[in-house]
Amino acid sequence: MSTEVKPSWTASWLPFISNWQTGLAAPVLVKEAPYLAILPWLVSVGVIFLTLSGLVLAVYYSPAHAFESIQFIDRNVHNGWLVQSFHETGASMVFGAAYLALLRGLWVRGYKAPFAAVWIWRMAIFGLLLIAGWIGFTLSGGAMADWSLTRAAQAALLLTGAPGAFGTWFFGGPNGAGTLPRMLVFHLILGVLVLGGVAAANSARKAVTPVPPRGAVAFHPYYTTQYFVALSVFALIFAVLVFFAPRFGQPFLNLVPADPLVVPAKLLFPWYLAPLSGLGSLLPGIYGGIIGVVGGLGVLFALPWLDRSGPNYRPGALYKFLTLVLALDVLGLGWAASTSSGLGSVLVMVFGFWYFLHFLVLTPLVTAMEAE
Amino acid sequence: MAETALDAVGHGTQSRREFLHILTIATGAVGAAAVLWPLVDALGPDADSDAAGHMIVNVAAIAENTAMTVTWNGLPVYIRKLTAKQIADNEFVVPGSLPDPAGYTDRVKPGYESFVVVVGLNTGTPCELEGNDPSDPRGPYDGWLCPCDGSVYDPLGRVRSGPAKKNLAIPHFTFLNNAQIQFG
Repeated sequence: MSTEVKPSWTASWLPFISNWQTGLAAPVLVKEAPYLAILPWLVSVGVIFLTLSGLVLAVYYSPAHAFESIQFIDRNVHNGWLVQSFHETGASMVFGAAYLALLRGLWVRGYKAPFAAVWIWRMAIFGLLLIAGWIGFTLSGGAMADWSLTRAAQAALLLTGAPGAFGTWFFGGPNGAGTLPRMLVFHLILGVLVLGGVAAANSARKAVTPVPPRGAVAFHPYYTTQYFVALSVFALIFAVLVFFAPRFGQPFLNLVPADPLVVPAKLLFPWYLAPLSGLGSLLPGIYGGIIGVVGGLGVLFALPWLDRSGPNYRPGALYKFLTLVLALDVLGLGWAASTSSGLGSVLVMVFGFWYFLHFLVLTPLVTAMEAE
Repeated sequence: MAETALDAVGHGTQSRREFLHILTIATGAVGAAAVLWPLVDALGPDADSDAAGHMIVNVAAIAENTAMTVTWNGLPVYIRKLTAKQIADNEFVVPGSLPDPAGYTDRVKPGYESFVVVVGLNTGTPCELEGNDPSDPRGPYDGWLCPCDGSVYDPLGRVRSGPAKKNLAIPHFTFLNNAQIQFG
């Protein structure tokens, strides 16, 4: 446009802007990537949004009066009800995108070489999100949340050795006046760690993505529209939940303030924690719970090695069918862990057994079979 | 040729695309602003702080020649009801003869001349003033006296002598009626 030799003001004082612009315009992306490849990006956008709304909530939140301070935010802070709903529903949206991204990763075998490092980082983000999600749930100070924290802290006290020492350090003894303040600090630290994990996963992805030599396109203008459409759909679902179902997926008993003398008949969790709580109840005892949760996440980390097919192998029909069955299995596991009927505990055993069977037996078997 | 003519007056695919482009960006910007606004707005004062900042005080119960103390915005605020003698003594003092010149009408609200509302902190050494109660030491002008550095104020809160050089600050307030004043 201009023929001046003099560099622009932004070029001399804010060079990162021009770097960013040329980065967006550099042709490094494959043509016609599928829409669903956007899901990890939506998780990142959601995490940044949760950070912003969480910082606003942290200004008013008081762990000594957890339930009352959230009531105060809802009633006395300007637009506080909206910011609180942004955070609560935003968590649901982030987990929705994360679960879908996980399913798509299984479907297209996104964990295969050379993407194993990207997969490990994304699973680390997923694990950190689950811990941050549980701690955020306990911060609500509702009946379910408080009892969940009480049980966890009591279990930590019963452990011996290194796990017991870590548990006592983490919870600071039984659930009391000092527990929620440290949960708040851990929640904030985990939020920062998730942002760091997003950066690590992005750099890992950039390191292994081959630059297509022919026909590569730039992010802008070829993908901006696609991302904008995906974000619009995401925002539309988010808006519907915020304004019409602000407590979506939360146990309704959590809307009652915690009472140490009234024990809920069954511990219930938000929908995004329910499948993991089901895995935690598979085996008896405290160590059984830990093995269930850690094992449930561990098999996801181990997927690059559980899959026995070669790097250039395309997924077969049986594998895809089993992946869909696994998706239904996890949904069923979450439902069974959240129902109070007697059938629930039996179904948790069945669905939990199938979960581990899928990863530890069926995945190596079917991928090795189909690779031949 | 008809196509070209339409393009020339701005009805072609190109201008339609540009219009949609601008429309989409504008809608997106409005949406982003609508999401960010609650986050900014929530960081303003909450309803409790807002109410405390616009506190309403009943002044009907204040007896003549005494003052009440209220805390507003973290400051001790003295609300004093003057006697007829105190008004007569201070109404016609020549402002130029005072250390910090201020007339009678600068220190009271028109229509409510018997009430003086000041921040009760000495303007020299920061120290709470004495003289709200008739039995307190009030100094030679029957106003307020600083127990820390001995500065003397008249009933209108104007400094008369002492290390202090400024009159007492007047907080922002309005009379709602004869009995109520609202701060802020």
